[in-house]
Amino acid sequence: MSGALSVRGVSKRFGDEPVLDEVSFSIAEGRSLVLLGHSGSGKTTILRLIAGLEKPDGGEIYLRGRRIDPLRARDRNIGVIFQNYALFPGMTVVENIGFGLRIRGVKRAQWVEAALRLLEMVGLTEQREKYPSQLSGGQQQRVAIARALAYQPAMLLFDESFSALDPQTRVGLRREIRGLLQRLRIPALFITHDQEEAMELGDQVAILNQGRVEQIGTPREIYEHPRTEFVATFLGAANVLTGRWVEGQVLLAEGRQLWVDGGEPARAWRAAQPLKVVFRPEDVQLGAADRHGEEREGQLSLGWGEVLEVAFSGASEWLVVGLHGEETADARSVAVGELRQQDRPVRLKVSRTKWEAHTLRLAPGDRVSVGLRAVQLLVD
Amino acid sequence: MTWGNSGEQPGRPRPWARDGVPVSSSVDLARPVGISLILFAMVPLVILPLSSIFIYGLSKGPVHFWQALMAPAALFSLRLSLMTSAVATVCNVFFGVIAAYVMSKYRFRGSTALMITISLPTAIPTAVAGFALLLLWGRSGLLGQFLERTEYQIMFTTAAIILANIFVTFPLAFGVIKPALDNLDTNYEDAAETMGASRWQTFRYVVLPSLRGAILTGALLTFARSIGEFGSTIMVSGNLPMRTQTAPLYIFTKFNEGDIEGANAIAAVLAALSFVIFSVILLTRGRFDR
Repeated sequence: MSGALSVRGVSKRFGDEPVLDEVSFSIAEGRSLVLLGHSGSGKTTILRLIAGLEKPDGGEIYLRGRRIDPLRARDRNIGVIFQNYALFPGMTVVENIGFGLRIRGVKRAQWVEAALRLLEMVGLTEQREKYPSQLSGGQQQRVAIARALAYQPAMLLFDESFSALDPQTRVGLRREIRGLLQRLRIPALFITHDQEEAMELGDQVAILNQGRVEQIGTPREIYEHPRTEFVATFLGAANVLTGRWVEGQVLLAEGRQLWVDGGEPARAWRAAQPLKVVFRPEDVQLGAADRHGEEREGQLSLGWGEVLEVAFSGASEWLVVGLHGEETADARSVAVGELRQQDRPVRLKVSRTKWEAHTLRLAPGDRVSVGLRAVQLLVD
Repeated sequence: MTWGNSGEQPGRPRPWARDGVPVSSSVDLARPVGISLILFAMVPLVILPLSSIFIYGLSKGPVHFWQALMAPAALFSLRLSLMTSAVATVCNVFFGVIAAYVMSKYRFRGSTALMITISLPTAIPTAVAGFALLLLWGRSGLLGQFLERTEYQIMFTTAAIILANIFVTFPLAFGVIKPALDNLDTNYEDAAETMGASRWQTFRYVVLPSLRGAILTGALLTFARSIGEFGSTIMVSGNLPMRTQTAPLYIFTKFNEGDIEGANAIAAVLAALSFVIFSVILLTRGRFDR
């Protein structure tokens, strides 16, 4: 299945600077993909290439089976919602929405009618005679969406379309748009640097780093099984420890050992293979100091740590736990000496639910046992 | 509310606490002194000379003023000035929009040189401009010698006045429209293009409407400058009463003949006109910038 939109090996450079390097992805019919990346990762360039506002240096772009990269922007039939909406300031809301039909030679009565229907859909009928400058940011965005939908585009592109809105409007609008897209069954590509937005809007998320797609998958896949450190730390918070693969277990640079099942990939690992151990703040389980020696079934232990910081944020509690390397120097001291890199304690980000925090109250200075519910091993 | 960041933090000074307090409690002298200085310079240099036109005009009574104004040569010179200025304005606004669009959208070899050439007429003395036109179109001029063999003539006709006006006011509209175009967010054009608009439709419906303010200002500036043009006009028009005598030339001629009242009547009209034009420019500024 090639999908509604298919981007194949697209490259782009500005002068000598490569911006996109062989980027490929596709969006299924009626689905949405979020391109998530820092500014400068090339995500806006991808959007402009698909829209036809830039020409690729290599690769091909297909929309519903038709190759579109040689076409002019105006022949591609794509709806774009720009970052600042780009509503025409001299036209009323109705005129803005009707513009796409009007330039296609549709009679005034008809495009006005179509515009009013779309306005009703986005709930702005009362604003029809207003000018864009008289609307709030959220209203402007609805008009921009209605305007892009008016000429029945083959797909929608959203360029950081939520970044200018205040947080409450943003959350509400995201839900609305998600619902709208599902009803209309129109494929959509979102560009954003906001991971929360990516999780909520994307059926699929593609993580872009320096012009390359690092990973594509459902938000859940990417969050639970990041394939690179960049992906792990970009989508959500993550702890990353370095270590080596020694005799079927991971020996951490901090001098601790961790029994982890390396799974299928581990067969290919050589002795002392450098590895990264990645785990989420909520994967860390803290235990009381008096329950020494107790290890829960199926849980990995990092040994002892010290609570350094505690911050309460409503539904959850955020902690920083320090691991001191020297405490756990053990029999494998040769390897440990080689691997120990830093004198300062390793700082782990830990989150606990309100109820976990109630069960075991912790304050800075407390000694805790540190267990892991899940980890991801990445080859360095 | 569960998000802690909106709560009050009593220990930390609020950053906006300072804003309500004046910088200094003493009286700010810069304002009255500055305004007085401007008025002090304006009164003898601009306001009094202009007032004297109206004071003189009315000193002999409105009837005299009216008669001087209604003299056929006076009315003719006003009409000629308005007409030639209007034509020059239309030409230069049309040219200015196109030139501004090209110079703003495209970078090409020699674009800087072209930019300088377009702006050059601002710096050329108007008498030099008129002289240059004479050398080109005059009886033995570069092109004029060919015209000489036909029945057509350009120099010492209305066409010459228009040519001189165009030359002298060439960069004015361009100079106002180009910055407006440079500042226009290209997102509007991108948006129109993705919606299916052709280059022309984008220009017609998106670019041009957002230039309304700049076009009006540019047109009024061009018109105001044209209507007062003297140096180049006196060289190329021949200053023939009832034929090629514009309003400024009429003032000059009447004054030389000792007809102060005649000169003053037209001077008063021109002064009032420029007052109206610049009031329109200043009052409409901002109206179009939505």
